[in-house]
Amino acid sequence: MVIIGENIHILSKKVSEALSNKDAKVIQEMAKAQAEAGVDYIDLNIGPARKNPDIMAWLVETVQEVVDLPLSLDSTNPQAVEAGLKVAKWPPLINSASGRTDSKEQMLPLATKYKCDVVISVLNDQGIPADAEARAESIMDTVTYANELGIENERIWVDPIIMPVSVDQKAVMEAMEFTKMLQDLLPGVKSTVGLSNVSNGTPKELRGILNRTYLVMLQKCGLYSAIADAFDQELMDLVKGRAPEIVELIHKVMDGEDIDADSLPPKERDYVKTAKVLMGESLYSHTWLEL
Amino acid sequence: MAEYRAPFETYKAKVVEVTIGKGDRAIKIGGENVLAFNQTFDQGDFPNSPKIALEVWDKEPYGWTPGCLEPVKDVVGDPAAWAKRCVEALGAEAIFLYLISTDPNEDDTSPEVAAETAKKVYEACGVPLIVFGTGNEEKDPLILTKVAEALSGENLLLGPVLKEDYEPIANAAKEHGHCVVAQAPIDINLQKELDVKLMRILPPERIVLDPLAPALGYGLEYGFSIFERTKHVGVIFNDQTMQMPLIANFSFEVWRQKEPKENEEMGVYWELITAITYLEAGANLLVMRHPEVYKIIKEMIAEA
Repeated sequence: MVIIGENIHILSKKVSEALSNKDAKVIQEMAKAQAEAGVDYIDLNIGPARKNPDIMAWLVETVQEVVDLPLSLDSTNPQAVEAGLKVAKWPPLINSASGRTDSKEQMLPLATKYKCDVVISVLNDQGIPADAEARAESIMDTVTYANELGIENERIWVDPIIMPVSVDQKAVMEAMEFTKMLQDLLPGVKSTVGLSNVSNGTPKELRGILNRTYLVMLQKCGLYSAIADAFDQELMDLVKGRAPEIVELIHKVMDGEDIDADSLPPKERDYVKTAKVLMGESLYSHTWLEL
Repeated sequence: MAEYRAPFETYKAKVVEVTIGKGDRAIKIGGENVLAFNQTFDQGDFPNSPKIALEVWDKEPYGWTPGCLEPVKDVVGDPAAWAKRCVEALGAEAIFLYLISTDPNEDDTSPEVAAETAKKVYEACGVPLIVFGTGNEEKDPLILTKVAEALSGENLLLGPVLKEDYEPIANAAKEHGHCVVAQAPIDINLQKELDVKLMRILPPERIVLDPLAPALGYGLEYGFSIFERTKHVGVIFNDQTMQMPLIANFSFEVWRQKEPKENEEMGVYWELITAITYLEAGANLLVMRHPEVYKIIKEMIAEA
């Protein structure tokens, strides 16, 4: 599992202050810490950056000075992404394009021009598709369009779009279903998710276990990569094969094995309960671990 | 060729049976192991048909359409007499006493006075009593704990209890032997969360769920979905935190809307359609206002 560290994100107060003050040291410390935590890519999320798209160039150069990892240029603004592409030492990942008309016309051609990989989400002009089939239909259209621009499947990272389990439990399952179908639909494509969105709206202290469990489940469905919290050591251990017992337990829940959660030690019990909620076996509430 | 057999469903769980009131004035709701009105087609029982409570206020009603008050207009100044008339003249199966005057924005009636009113209504009506505060999370606990105490042991249905104020009200209900209505704002996940917390204080046999019941044209379809989904989760998927009976408290919602207010005939259909919709979605207890609509729905339930 390829992990893209999510921690340099404009919604973080620390990051947004460092960006407006061009405080290189803060950003470089964060980049180094993520590299040490074992991430494979570093995400640079600057939001839409309408006023100052060139900040991406500064950010890329700042991070490159201290870290040798590939970068993920995360903005919905093609100007900002291109500013980063121009100065990147190694081909970065464009994060992200979608099936929306403006994105197809302005973001996707950048992947052709700079010969780099690109994340393409299932979003289109109609919004986020409702189920696995609709996601498939949407991504087929967009990938076909990308292929015509000379971007081959191997350079495309498909994003199924993760919804918060507290908002739409069914969508959580549909994204897994879609991930399973992906290699048959579009052989050779990679995939990635914005993992933390699954726990958006869930009380803070309970977000980690949802993120971790879901990532193990998506990995079993064939997911290639995730944008995730680099500092969640347990998450890194799980997806890098360092906690096989927990992984096996989560897989058993996915395979429909009847596991009595209450007979397990607390940590194992919580993973089983969480996997059951994410499989849609029981209705989500913030109290799922207490049942 | 083999004889055709219509497919039928059997489900693994059932709705909890809740008793409201005591002795010969008790009614039971819930207990079904099928979806609403499907007992004819599917394998299961619907042992307790849905019950209807008529709405009574603790103060002279305002904003009510004349037809809603027709059979009671000479007694509305006295909640006890009003409730008694609902039972004697209309055959109400329960009374829904809305303590609207207790709201700080109304008359800010004291807990003592409110409890006294509830007691008088209870003594006069002879049917099970549902007592509702106004959803004010500071005032309701004061009011409802006092009511619980004044009618200790009479097994009232007290509500609404919200995530903000469930503890004092549920504790009072436990101490004095009453049931409560767990109310969540049209959100099945929040409903479950509240149920889980409430079940640490009260058994499910003492809880009725209120996901809110918006009127036709004002969110009815959302209400329908939540009611239906609650039954699916409880009856089909055996989620024990979602197996309590459902109350559809829509009369206030219907009659505060512009169209029913301006045109009584339209209002009658408005309440009728709203009532039928919630019955179809699985409501076990309805709160109604217009006497004519009440009669029609009662007949429909009897014939179903």
